[in-house]
Amino acid sequence: MTASMQALEYLEQQSGATLIKLYRQPSSALAIFRRMLPHLAKNIVMAMLYMTKPFSDADLLAWIRPDALVEKDQAMSVLERLHIISKVHDPPPAPTAYQLSDKFAKSLRQALTGGGNHRSFGVPCSTPDPDKIDVENLDKFARQQWEAILYYMVGSAGGMQMGLSQGASISDGTKMLLEMGNFVERKGGRPIITQTGFSFLLQEANTQVWSLLIVYLESADNLQMDKVDVLSFLFTLGSLELGQDYSTANLTATQLQMLDDLSDFGIVYRRDNQAKRFYPTRLATTLTSDAGALLTSNSTLRSALSPTGSGNDKGYIIVETNYRLYAYTSSILQIAVLALFTRLHTRFPNLVSGKLTKESIQRAINLGITADQVISYLTAHAHPQMAKNTPVMPPTVVDQIRLWQIEGDRMKATTGFLIKEFGTQTEYDDTWKYADSLGVLVWKNDIKRLLFVSRIEQLSTYLAGKKSKARAA
Amino acid sequence: MVKAVKDASFNVKDYETVADMVLPGVLIQCDASIKAIINKIDSQYHEFILEDLDDEAVIIKESKLAELKIKLKEALKDTVREAEESGSD
Repeated sequence: MTASMQALEYLEQQSGATLIKLYRQPSSALAIFRRMLPHLAKNIVMAMLYMTKPFSDADLLAWIRPDALVEKDQAMSVLERLHIISKVHDPPPAPTAYQLSDKFAKSLRQALTGGGNHRSFGVPCSTPDPDKIDVENLDKFARQQWEAILYYMVGSAGGMQMGLSQGASISDGTKMLLEMGNFVERKGGRPIITQTGFSFLLQEANTQVWSLLIVYLESADNLQMDKVDVLSFLFTLGSLELGQDYSTANLTATQLQMLDDLSDFGIVYRRDNQAKRFYPTRLATTLTSDAGALLTSNSTLRSALSPTGSGNDKGYIIVETNYRLYAYTSSILQIAVLALFTRLHTRFPNLVSGKLTKESIQRAINLGITADQVISYLTAHAHPQMAKNTPVMPPTVVDQIRLWQIEGDRMKATTGFLIKEFGTQTEYDDTWKYADSLGVLVWKNDIKRLLFVSRIEQLSTYLAGKKSKARAA
Repeated sequence: MVKAVKDASFNVKDYETVADMVLPGVLIQCDASIKAIINKIDSQYHEFILEDLDDEAVIIKESKLAELKIKLKEALKDTVREAEESGSD
């Protein structure tokens, strides 16, 4: 799941009132528009942005190619769930029509054309900072803080108890947050990484930041913080410029409190808690953009977290056909990640060696790491010498890792919804085809007319539509 | 397909009918042999299975997934012998 999808899913769960409040701020409207909407939805919003009257469904259909109706349904469904577009409820026989939410449209127009004194894009400091921090040091700070969080999570696993000799330590608040997000579990006073935690670890940095921030948002209510305030501030941060210092003068109390927490994550930098200015780091400025985050995609633990922090994004792992593994690294974090699924036995100054064993792989699988995750991690971080091979990983090793997984995990579990009691064969056929085209169909049984789908929202709208049509007929 | 979204005259009753058709849960897909073990576990405790689908699929309660996995592992321990690791490096 990508960062934007995750944030989108969170937003979709919010009430209409929360969202409308959020849309009052131009930077939020812009960020949601830019980063979270599907392409077709963006086009529809742009087309409707300066329309004064509701836009009829028939006219909208004229723009959509007949083979893209599914995409259109998806786009409209996202827009409606985000309360960006609403149906106009004119009494029949008026045709169905849509209109943009006033607040959203106004904010987006303001964001695109400028104007207003909403200050939602941050207020740069008017006076120069006597000891200004440069971009390089900001990156270093962000990396150090974020690495400390990741290390806290893995450092606990795989029986590797190496002293935290490098990097920063993380605050109790962050530790609690990791537990609340179920990334780690505390067992006997020591944090143990969970399944969610490991998936988190393998995501790219941008997605990780959002995952953690969503947990933060969920906890905001308990901390007497206003959710809208928190979200707005995150979207503001996403629109700030790297290397620029911003004034804390116009921030709300909630947002000032957030600055403390965010600087613990490495998202903003402040000299101390009383500082009148703050710098967004690369983790902040890439929150709502597609630009490569501090830690470029798919190389999370590789480039960004290399011990020197020099952006060394070369691979370092060699796997032989006899399951032996050599990793040219001295990063404690990288070693700790390897230790999750490898039996390591020797460590040299620039190299660790070990072996992939049935026991080590199955231990990882028990933690919730999948065989595919292990394989893709090893492939993504393959040493240049090994990366010359096609395929990169020895096929015997890949097959064996998969077999070890099947052996340990004899059933496939999927959370979702069973749909049963279809009235007619046609209703069943249409529904499974529709579910399949949405990509949510997991399982079906034609004889018993049963469907299992991973998501239900769009389907229940679809089914209710079918029912009401059947009733009318 | 399009008509479904186009049709604004949904009524609550239609949604209720649809809600009756939908059962949230976890789909378990496995071999017939594992399915037999799951059925046996359920026959002892009667609290896992929501809907028995066929020989290779069953719906269980989401809250019971972790417990079922543990029970299944225990059951398999008795029937499947693990080969010893050679241990040489």
